[in-house]
Amino acid sequence: MTILCVRFQLPPMYEAALPQLLGLLEEFTPVVEALPPDGALADLRGAERYFGRDAVQLASVIRVRALALYGVDCVIGAGPGPMLARMALRDARPGLTGAVPEGGERDFLAGKPVAALPGVGTATARTLCEYGLDTLGRVAAAPLSTLQRLVGARAGRELHEKANGVDRGRVVPNGVSRSLAADRPFDRDELDPGRHRRALLSAAEELGARLRAVDKVCRTLTLTVRYADRSATTRSRTLPEPTAHSAALTRTAYDLYGALGLQRARVRSIALRAEGLAPAELASHQLTFDPVDEKVRRIEEVADRARAKFGPRAVMPGSLAA
Amino acid sequence: MPGFTHLHTVSGFSARYGASHPERLAERAFERGMDALALTDRDTLAGTVRFAKACAKAGVRPLFGAELAVSPPEPEADRTETSVRRDRRRTPVRGGAFVDESAPRVTFLARDGARGWADLCRLVSAAHTTPDTPLLSWADNHADGLTVLLGPDSDVGRALAAGRPDRAARLLAPWREVYGDALRLEAVWHGRKGTGPGSLRLAARTVGFAAEQGVRPVLSNAVRYADPGQGQIADVLDAARRLVPIDASKELDSGEAWLKDAGAMRHAAERIVEAAGFRREAAHRLLEQTQATAAACLVDPEDDLGMGAVHFPEPHLVGAGRRTAQRALASRAAAGMVLRGYDRRPGHREYWERMHHELDIIAHHGFASYFLTVAQVVDDVRHMGIRVAARGSGAGSLVNHLLGIAHADPVEHGLLMERFLSKERVVLPDIDIDVESARRLEVYRAIIGRFGTERVATVAMPETYRVRHAIRDVGAALSMDPAEIDRVAKSFPHIRARDARAALEELPELRELAGEKKRYGRLWELVEGLDALPRGVAMHPCGVLLSDASLLSRTPVMPTSGEGFPMAQFDKDDVEDLGLLKLDVLGVRMQSAMAHAVAEVERATGERVDLDAVPEGDPATYRMIRSAETLGCFQIESPGQRDLVGRLQPSTFHDLVVDISLFRPGPVAADMVRPFIEARHGRAPVRYPHEDLAEPLEGTYGVVVFHEQVIDIVAIMTGCGRGEADRVRRGLSDPESQGRIKVWFAQHAAANGYDAETIQRTWEIVEAFGSYGFCKAHAVAFAVPTYQSAWLKAHHPAAFYAGLLTHDPGMYPKRLLLADARRRGVPILPLDVNKSGVAHRIELVSESRGAKVWGLRLALSDVHGISEAEAERVAEGQPYASLLDFWERARPSRPLAGRLAQVGALDAFGANRRDLQLHLTELHRGARGGRGDQLPLSGGRRTASAGLPDLTSAEKLSAELGVLSMDASRNLMDDHRTFLRELGVVSAKRLREARHGETVLVAGAKAATQTPPIRSGRRVIFSTLDDGSGLVDLAFFDDSHDACAHTVFHSWLLLVRGVVQRRGPRSLSVVGSAAWNLADLLEVRREEGLEGVAARLAGAGGGQGGDDPEGGPARRRLAGSDGQPAPAGSAAQDPMERQRTIRMSTGYEMHPWADLRPAGEGPAVGRKLWHQSPGSAG
Repeated sequence: MTILCVRFQLPPMYEAALPQLLGLLEEFTPVVEALPPDGALADLRGAERYFGRDAVQLASVIRVRALALYGVDCVIGAGPGPMLARMALRDARPGLTGAVPEGGERDFLAGKPVAALPGVGTATARTLCEYGLDTLGRVAAAPLSTLQRLVGARAGRELHEKANGVDRGRVVPNGVSRSLAADRPFDRDELDPGRHRRALLSAAEELGARLRAVDKVCRTLTLTVRYADRSATTRSRTLPEPTAHSAALTRTAYDLYGALGLQRARVRSIALRAEGLAPAELASHQLTFDPVDEKVRRIEEVADRARAKFGPRAVMPGSLAA
Repeated sequence: MPGFTHLHTVSGFSARYGASHPERLAERAFERGMDALALTDRDTLAGTVRFAKACAKAGVRPLFGAELAVSPPEPEADRTETSVRRDRRRTPVRGGAFVDESAPRVTFLARDGARGWADLCRLVSAAHTTPDTPLLSWADNHADGLTVLLGPDSDVGRALAAGRPDRAARLLAPWREVYGDALRLEAVWHGRKGTGPGSLRLAARTVGFAAEQGVRPVLSNAVRYADPGQGQIADVLDAARRLVPIDASKELDSGEAWLKDAGAMRHAAERIVEAAGFRREAAHRLLEQTQATAAACLVDPEDDLGMGAVHFPEPHLVGAGRRTAQRALASRAAAGMVLRGYDRRPGHREYWERMHHELDIIAHHGFASYFLTVAQVVDDVRHMGIRVAARGSGAGSLVNHLLGIAHADPVEHGLLMERFLSKERVVLPDIDIDVESARRLEVYRAIIGRFGTERVATVAMPETYRVRHAIRDVGAALSMDPAEIDRVAKSFPHIRARDARAALEELPELRELAGEKKRYGRLWELVEGLDALPRGVAMHPCGVLLSDASLLSRTPVMPTSGEGFPMAQFDKDDVEDLGLLKLDVLGVRMQSAMAHAVAEVERATGERVDLDAVPEGDPATYRMIRSAETLGCFQIESPGQRDLVGRLQPSTFHDLVVDISLFRPGPVAADMVRPFIEARHGRAPVRYPHEDLAEPLEGTYGVVVFHEQVIDIVAIMTGCGRGEADRVRRGLSDPESQGRIKVWFAQHAAANGYDAETIQRTWEIVEAFGSYGFCKAHAVAFAVPTYQSAWLKAHHPAAFYAGLLTHDPGMYPKRLLLADARRRGVPILPLDVNKSGVAHRIELVSESRGAKVWGLRLALSDVHGISEAEAERVAEGQPYASLLDFWERARPSRPLAGRLAQVGALDAFGANRRDLQLHLTELHRGARGGRGDQLPLSGGRRTASAGLPDLTSAEKLSAELGVLSMDASRNLMDDHRTFLRELGVVSAKRLREARHGETVLVAGAKAATQTPPIRSGRRVIFSTLDDGSGLVDLAFFDDSHDACAHTVFHSWLLLVRGVVQRRGPRSLSVVGSAAWNLADLLEVRREEGLEGVAARLAGAGGGQGGDDPEGGPARRRLAGSDGQPAPAGSAAQDPMERQRTIRMSTGYEMHPWADLRPAGEGPAVGRKLWHQSPGSAG
């Protein structure tokens, strides 16, 4: 029981605070994996001996420090592996660390619904439930070959192992925040494509500004359109080159939107997410002989500086100002 | 100063466009001093008759017209120049495409009398020949009798709005060519800005353009609603039509399109001509042109629309040859006399006399063609091998009987021709015929085939806004959350939209919603504003128009959406006013069910059953009826009827006729039930007001039950003849004429030598009878299938249930019929792909010493989501040797195969149901080329096990409910026996031994819920529970509604505390005082144990009112002995009594919310409400 899964209770849109909180975890162990927007996995194998406390006790320490230093509460699950720690997190609440005891994995899992297992999505869960395999105990009891017939060879094997408590995952240290999101809700059913595009423009501008602020570029843009009946359409597209340039992001966002061909859909919100973040200095940029591109980027740079000085609404596209 | 006539006015019949009813428009026109008004609905003339009648009442001259979408003339010459590249729009991933309203619209007004009207009908019919939306092609766009208004929405108007007078002039040319002098340019000013429709600049441009082109301009207001302030409703209608929410930032309705008076229109005219650069006096000319145009449109509702005249098919089409229709009818009737042997019978003189008397009456009205037409239709239907029966007062005519239209011999049953048709009556008689519902459309096709589409059309039935639809459309227009709209709409019973707020105030089950009423803002107001506006049109389920060849020039016809039958745009009342002959061909599911049962018996046993020749007075049948286990029998299966049958104990056909007649609101109101039953069982003496009346009244122990008896009483007492007596009877329903009739009756009866007391007593009976009671001819017509179905149930139960389940007549859900079959010892055989047919079948289960037991095999067609073709394919391919064989030959869709496996239809192939599902999935993948089609087999043809857990017993039941909507293997209540025993619930079977007044707990699945009109004027909720051992009938009176109504309407499994009410050996019901949702309690029991249940019961779960074990005085009083509650006596005033009631003319009070289809899921159909455990299949 050496892996902790920590979920900080951050208000949405504050993923910028995550790196600091990860720093806090790194004081205990160097093996920390960020789970943006608000979580992390930490491997305490060495820390237990170093601090002379077990993982559950360390979890309490982490929580106290997070509260004391940043005023952020957190929920913590502990388990022998990352998957079990994540599952333990579901039973936890602030003040009570969920823990899976060593050797008790199978009993812990047996009563859980299949959908609780990380890696089992709605589709797989539906398939399994259709065949009566609604709890992990039943999945564990089913023959491996049958599972493989149900969900495919590899997925079946993994499912079989996971349901039996075999957790082969590792904590892989990584950097922060691999994605950023901007959401634009409407206060009524919005059908007007003009207003949809305005929302897209404003979201893309925001994402660009936030990316540039942390010196990152993104590789992929994902558009999520939510409708009045609470359903949603999601489309994503990889950018021609990783970028944080607002104009490029906007262009891709418009393309994504245009491909939906919406006419009478009752849109309640539009969300853009920038994914595949990487440090800006590693990004390559195709130069052109067209001076316009160069100028636009320079203007953006200036605008960023103006915004840094006079506030985010100091400079913005004309169509958003109205 | 000239007046003003609105030439362009739409009513609510322009579905989702106009916001006012035609009556309202006519009234307002009168109030605002106009002497004429046009009705020009979009694509329809459906409002014409109501409008004409309203205008006649208001004293306004009606003009008739229509607004049609018109396609442009031939591909325009300048097409290449103007048409931009039409980029095809992408198909939206969500929400669908915009509703296309781009076609230009033009207003047509009928001008030259009948010719104008015929042209209008032709144009409207022609517009409806295009698929999808109505569009008048240019080829059809010509008429001599019409005036055409080109307004802002026409192609010319649009060109002007775009600032292209040159293009407008070019577009005007083809219109001028066709309509010449009958062309007008219509200017509309709604105070809008810019140059679009309704703007001052467009109106001025139109007037200027008209002057330039030499076309006469007219002024209109393009009216959409009668009064100012209805613009918001127009916005909602626009949103509902375009299927989008109201967008406040876009252009909304101007609020000006109301029926403005002449002064306001003159002001508009002045502004327009000034803006056009003319002098102010020109406004006068504009108004004069408008008036002149109106004056030229002369169509008289009586002469030109044909209101009041009658049109029958030509005699040669109905078998009269070259003879007159009357001659042909007489000879056919005489032939019928010989055929049925009445001429050889003792008393044949009576038959002959009656026949000649009836023929006289028919000749008097000239209705012979009508009788021949109906006879022709009935003959055709019978030749097709479809069961057919006449219903209604037509059964009282001997001629109908002789022509083979009606079954029962009217002379024998004492039915009167005068109830149907007499010289004194001048309305169209109507004969309704019942056919098998499953083959109704075949009958329609046969009728159309016989008389041709130029003479036959079905009748339209406008669907109007009621509260639920109104809430849905307004909610969507206001961008409300769909889930919330759904919740609000579903919590309402099916009431009128205008009662929405009143219902919120008054109905106890809406109390919760009323609390959050404020949250929805304008919703309620707008919902009430939509009240009764048509929102679409459907084919009337039974009316068929029959006319001569001129039908199409008198009525506009459109194709029905599904079958493409020609359908007149008029509804059934309009049709009668227009003098079109309507034949009601009703599809009766019971006829189909009986036909299926008979066919099954013949298929399985070879025995041919002729239902029409079933011997009368079969003891087994009456024994079954008397036991009141009449579920599924025609007309006598409702809880009230079962109660009545139990008390009446019918033993002859006549008793059935009386029973059916007694179970009507009228007889119940006039308290005819109790004296009848008392007298029948000898507990009260039979009394007649006078011995002269003994003859008509002796069959019913001195109680007046039938219309025919009233006719006889009046005829005997006053000596006025039956024809006159029938007129008198009809007058009784109107309180005004009632007074006159009373005087007349007293005078004539006194003249005939009756004493004052007799007259007084007789009058009381006649008066109480009012217009209620029942036509005996109807009752006889009903009783025939009642007896036939009961006979089938008694003698061929398995086949009877097979018929019922296949055609699903009646009021109960299928699962209840299945439970009834199980109780009556019919083995239920599970679905099996090797044995089940498309429809339910019977199968020999066991045979011992000649006693054969037939079982009921469930049908493939009941599987959820199976298509007809699939079911047939499966049935045709039988038998199947293995799963693979089944998959390859029956080719079921993957979900269907899964469902079949879930309910055990594939159990014969080995392995458990989940393993089968897995194999099916792999077969499916294999079919798509993933793997080979090799199936893992174990031991020959049986499918190998894959080691998956089988469905548990509860899951199997859940699957049955989900897939078949029936608990086929056992009753669903069986699973809850332990819990019910813990609670001490009394089963339906044991309830029969319960004492009167005992407080009991009952539980079961809700089968049917009604709130019928009750004579005391209260609202009573009747419900029936099925608990596997039988049925429990429940009644909730209004003192328990606060606590129970919501639970009763919205739960499927119910636990009820109540008091037993006993009114006879077979008559028993429970008066509920508290109700709980049993499904919730079961869940609590499972999760929290008995303690949790106790906590729930102690909490606010059920009703706390009326804990008095004796049932409380109010309830004892209400539960009268007649199956319905007795009148409210002098007992303590109930708090509910202060509420408003609706008083009928007979003094019969009705609760305003009675007789509504209650809210909630209604009868139990499973599927959604059944609790799904996490492991449930599918």
